[in-house]
Amino acid sequence: MTTTLARARPTKGQRRRRIREALEAYLFLSPATILLFVFGILPVGYAFYISLHRWRIQKGPFIGLENYFRLLGPPVNIAMVVGGIGLLIGAYYVWRGLFAQSGGWRLALRIALLGMLIIGGLTLVLGADGMLTYAAQERTVRQYLLSVLRTVFYSSGTVPFQLIFAFLLANLLFQQIRGRSFFRMLYFLTYITPTVATAAVWRATVFEPRQGLLNSLLSALGMAQENLPRWIMDPEGVVPFLAQWLHISLPDWVVRSPVLSGPSLAMVAVCIYNIWVFTGYNTVIYLAGLGAIPYELYEAAEIDGAGRWQLLRYVTLPLVSPTTYFLTLMGIIGTFKAVNHIYIMTQIVGLGGPQDTTTTAAIYIFKQFREGNRWGVASAAAFILLGIILLLTWIQNRVAEERVHYG
Amino acid sequence: MAEHAPARRRFRLRPARIFTYAVLVLGAIIAVIPFVWMVLTSLKTYGEYALRDPWPKALTLVPYRDLPPSEDVVVDLQPVEEGTWGGAPRSAQPLLEGRILIERVTAPVAEQLARAGESPPLEVLILAADVEEEVEGYDTFYLTVGSRVIQQETVRVRLGETWKAPYYLNAPDMERWGPQLTVIDNDPDHFVVRKSWRPGVMLIFNYIKSWYEADFARYTWNSVRLTLITVVGVIVFSTLAAYAFARMNFPGRDALFTVFLATLMLPEVVTLIPNFAIVIQLDRFFEDVLHIENAWLNNWTALTIPFMASTFSIFLLRQFFAQIPDELYDAALIDGCGHLRFLLQVVLPLSKAPLMSVIVLNGIWSWNAFLWPLIVTSDETWRPITVGLSKFTMEAAAEVHLMMAGAAITIIPILILYFFTQKQFTEGIATTGLKG
Repeated sequence: MTTTLARARPTKGQRRRRIREALEAYLFLSPATILLFVFGILPVGYAFYISLHRWRIQKGPFIGLENYFRLLGPPVNIAMVVGGIGLLIGAYYVWRGLFAQSGGWRLALRIALLGMLIIGGLTLVLGADGMLTYAAQERTVRQYLLSVLRTVFYSSGTVPFQLIFAFLLANLLFQQIRGRSFFRMLYFLTYITPTVATAAVWRATVFEPRQGLLNSLLSALGMAQENLPRWIMDPEGVVPFLAQWLHISLPDWVVRSPVLSGPSLAMVAVCIYNIWVFTGYNTVIYLAGLGAIPYELYEAAEIDGAGRWQLLRYVTLPLVSPTTYFLTLMGIIGTFKAVNHIYIMTQIVGLGGPQDTTTTAAIYIFKQFREGNRWGVASAAAFILLGIILLLTWIQNRVAEERVHYG
Repeated sequence: MAEHAPARRRFRLRPARIFTYAVLVLGAIIAVIPFVWMVLTSLKTYGEYALRDPWPKALTLVPYRDLPPSEDVVVDLQPVEEGTWGGAPRSAQPLLEGRILIERVTAPVAEQLARAGESPPLEVLILAADVEEEVEGYDTFYLTVGSRVIQQETVRVRLGETWKAPYYLNAPDMERWGPQLTVIDNDPDHFVVRKSWRPGVMLIFNYIKSWYEADFARYTWNSVRLTLITVVGVIVFSTLAAYAFARMNFPGRDALFTVFLATLMLPEVVTLIPNFAIVIQLDRFFEDVLHIENAWLNNWTALTIPFMASTFSIFLLRQFFAQIPDELYDAALIDGCGHLRFLLQVVLPLSKAPLMSVIVLNGIWSWNAFLWPLIVTSDETWRPITVGLSKFTMEAAAEVHLMMAGAAITIIPILILYFFTQKQFTEGIATTGLKG
């Protein structure tokens, strides 16, 4: 096409044609670009603008970073946490720079690295400590930080399990078996059906405390009637629940700590549902990843005497690592933005309930926006969330550079 | 993808084979069991659900065995004595009253009656009242079953209306298994009620009930329209954009493409609030400047237009368009063909498979969209089925059998689409892998 024309020295006619083509291209692109700008990019700036105002449905006065302080506490702590993270990121680049440099620079860089690590680490720890101390007294800050903690529970309670199950299923499906496309179709079913409907089905049939599938299974396995979890309606932490079941007595400070008592049983229910929905999707992507591995590699490894386990460990696992990386990132971002199924599953106990134990960061934003009508606070919370997502993406990218093999 | 699996698997031992199938089948069961449970529950009556009957009676032959044929009964109506019917409306014409006997009932109803120590025949009392002046004859009928008439719940029925057969205290499932009573002639001198037993209605009774209770007809129609509009928009806009990215040279192409891809990372909660604010502003602008009321809020525009710039679809199509050989374009160029004609006449006919993926996937996402429609709709005019269902699951939280029927109504269109096009689904997702 035009690349062949571009190589020759442009005559007047060719230049006019190129300009025409560019104009035509912009015309082709304009509808999608305008829409993407209005509903995809402009909103990010607009969200920041809203977050700087007192904004309750109607725009109020400009209040600077007040909304952020309301969510995270005094500016000193925020500055220390952000600065500490910044220093640690800087330390990473200095450490990378160490390999490129030689001689006298190396020593200076090493000292700088050490200094940045110590100062960055200390600032981060002290800032976080200050933030947590403040959160103990201030309700709004506590609620927001707890919602972030619950998001962490949510991500760590779903993404690894989804990946392991999907990897297992994909490897089994990848063999020469009968009905592969039939199984693939069934697994993918959970992903394409409307969340609103399946979440309602899970709420009413699987997690129903009295006659739900899960509790029927548990009582069939011999769990006493009074020990049965009430799932969506149960705000109890999973650690105290398991301890009670296994007859271990926990010290009081473990039960009361929001971190050590773990996600609530309601949150566990949300996680189980999430795993059910996304395992099939992950399996399909893993299958594509497995299909991209050249067969010769397996042959070569087998000639070298590799066993089944070694093939998996040294050929399959490294070569699907780009898929794993992609699915991890998508899974984590997915848990950060999940609202729909939590909305449906908890609508009978109050959104984000019981006792706010399924209020993840996304639900917190949604509640501030819909129930509190505090658009400014909600946008500030959304922006902090975006910052966390960017930081996580950055960390994952760095890990990926070290560990992911792009064949 | 993955079509030639390693041949070494041929030498696998049998136990490994069995293990493989066992795990795959277990996974399939876990994937499917909530759907199976949904369908089973949606066919139960409330009593069956509450008593934990695992298998709904509707799926056995019991209710349908020897059903009597439909029968038109002429009812002898007599004037009602003053004061017999407490709360009935008064009008110029006197209230009339008559009786129908139901000699035969279906097995589930007979069972319920026996449990309460009663047996057929059941007596149905009819009260005819005239409340709408312009209508000829009697237009409103109150049907009551049972001997203790006044204490029973009465159901108001209009001419020609079915399913709302009367409710009987000792046989609550009468509404479902008992005869459907339809007033087919409302002339007081020749008053006719049709007794009919319809197995189809008995089987999918919960579906019919929730369809009417939650106004699913409107929501389904809304969702169908919204999905079609979105998909058409996505196809037009993404094809144009993907073609420009894949086959045209212009300054800033790679930068713009990076910007497009970057938007995939943005979580919906970040853009939700500003997008809502933008839609409100647009709505106000259209009202003030163009004098169009509700151009965006509660309208199809806000529900479809923001989804038409589908980065995912652009990415998917671009991958495919870039593979089309340059020679084809050069040949077309000699024939005096421009980019638009080349796109329409050569590229699109070659790209049926990826276009199908784009249609199917965007159709699904549009049908399943929930959060945004929930926010931008405040009345029923354009509210999609997901929002309608979420309202229904809240209202019918205690009536799980109806709730499951509602969920099934929402899922069934997607299932039908999926079973016919599942290859496009999995391959569209697998080749691009985008969108979590």
